[in-house]
Amino acid sequence: MIVFKTLFLYLVFPGFLFAASVGMLAGWVERKLAARIQYRVGPPWYQNFLDIIKLSGKEIVVPGGKAFTFLAAPFFGLAASSLVAAMLGEAIRTREVSFSFDLIIAVYLLIIPAVSLIIGAFSSQNPLASVGGSREMKMVLAYELPFILSIATVIIKTGYLRIADVLNYQLSNGSIAASPSGCIAFIVALLCIQAKLGFVPFDAAEAEQEIMCGTLIEYSGLPLAIFRLSHFVLLFALPLFLIILFLSGTLSIFSIIIKYLLILVAIILIKNTNPRLRIDQALRFFWKLLTPIAVLGAVLAFLGK
Amino acid sequence: MSIRIKALTKSPWVFHASAASCNNCDIEILDCFTPRFDVERFGVQLIGSVRHADAILFTGVVNKKDIPLVKKLYEQAAKPCLVIAVGVCACSQHMFRFSYNVVEPLDKILPVTAYIPGCPPKPEAIIAGLVKALGTLKKK
Amino acid sequence: MNSSERIKEKFGSKIENWQEHSKNRIYFTLDKAYVREAADFLFKDLGLRLATATASDLPAGFEMIYHYSDDKTGVIYSLRAFIKGKESPEIDSISTVFKAAEWIEREIWELFGINFKNHPDLRHLLLVDDWPENEYPMRKNYKKPHEKKEQDKC
Repeated sequence: MIVFKTLFLYLVFPGFLFAASVGMLAGWVERKLAARIQYRVGPPWYQNFLDIIKLSGKEIVVPGGKAFTFLAAPFFGLAASSLVAAMLGEAIRTREVSFSFDLIIAVYLLIIPAVSLIIGAFSSQNPLASVGGSREMKMVLAYELPFILSIATVIIKTGYLRIADVLNYQLSNGSIAASPSGCIAFIVALLCIQAKLGFVPFDAAEAEQEIMCGTLIEYSGLPLAIFRLSHFVLLFALPLFLIILFLSGTLSIFSIIIKYLLILVAIILIKNTNPRLRIDQALRFFWKLLTPIAVLGAVLAFLGK
Repeated sequence: MSIRIKALTKSPWVFHASAASCNNCDIEILDCFTPRFDVERFGVQLIGSVRHADAILFTGVVNKKDIPLVKKLYEQAAKPCLVIAVGVCACSQHMFRFSYNVVEPLDKILPVTAYIPGCPPKPEAIIAGLVKALGTLKKK
Repeated sequence: MNSSERIKEKFGSKIENWQEHSKNRIYFTLDKAYVREAADFLFKDLGLRLATATASDLPAGFEMIYHYSDDKTGVIYSLRAFIKGKESPEIDSISTVFKAAEWIEREIWELFGINFKNHPDLRHLLLVDDWPENEYPMRKNYKKPHEKKEQDKC
């Protein structure tokens, strides 16, 4: 019985199917908003669903040897991101499924999609893909540091490592983003989310014009569809993670949806108004600018503000 | 019509390959994505890698050195993939047909689905040609 | 003194024809044996830059023109060198002075058939590697090997 319930949570709601659908709708919001900013009409709301269906029907081409790594890499990414989506979705719905240290487990699971992208890129046996893979590695090194520091701010402020306790703390004491240290940490985390999702200005790894879709250049058919699905699931899970950590002052369905849309709009506006950063500029931005700010937030949290 | 083909006609991703063109047709292809014509509302996206492509838009004359490269590019695309010849240089070699370096027109090398004449073709013509090429998929 | 006077002073009577085509274009003719010495002088002493080199197929032979640009004043000096006769034309290569001339001379060789002596690497640049021997497309008497009679009737 518990097996069925767990599988239902993981695969259907709020796991893979639900997260992928919400993620694809969020992806549509992103494309439509970008189109309206550029004074165009955008695609219809079901466009992302059609993209995935179309990709599932195309031929799968495997370059050179190493077929197993090449084909298995996207599935690991999807498995990890669906697991995070299920964990976070269920934790925000009923706070009793949360277990000890699941905050740290969530952070670890969120690194796996990026690693699967790197593994897929390097097993492609293509020099452009290896350039994309090395850039993705540098981006992971760059954004993980301020991201973890901003989460450390939350941990210092609330004193708990369990998601349910963090939520309970905020429900009784107000959102963490309302305090100065929390506000700083929230802005830092928002920019790190932008890089995690691979959006401009931090998408040097999958730059379309420069390295011809970098990491994903050799993928086609179903593995490509799985990579894009994993991206959409992350588009659902990461703003939810931010809401859990920083913005859970009130937790009704209506306020969660409003907060999710606001974070999404912030990400899209940053995406559409900025050029792409070079990889060394991105590294400098994260290490020299954001990390000291995140440290400042942590220090302020330590001092009790 | 299977769901595969239906999804393909609703979301065709195009790759743009220029074989020794003067780049005028390339600029007109990019014009299709500007706000005036906006083909993204039909699901068309300009993607960077040929393996993700559903339609390859060839422009320009194919000369002797290009023939093996053009064939290799078509083999690298994941099938089903359409080949569309954009511009009259790709359709029939235009004024370069007597040149010393030009041997065969594009449709003797690859199976071309649609021809879009024009020098350069207007974006309306390119959109009409793409729609006709997708229409041939529906009939099969 | 400016570059025109220095060229006239160095080469003196060897200059066969000095023509000021317009304010910024000067053409002068030298014998083909002095091409490399002139390239050396114009680049190293006067500081001119090789812009490009062109070739023409004339009834009496081939004519090579080397265009040197004076970037400080904006004047272009074009050095003409005439190769008499159509059988096996030859001229010295200037690629020892200008590395960029290697590719220019490769292109002129494959399209006109002018042999450049002492060129380090004379092979096809734009045409395919198995282009038939002794077929030079830019010569006036070139005929395409395959007939296209039907298309000519348009």
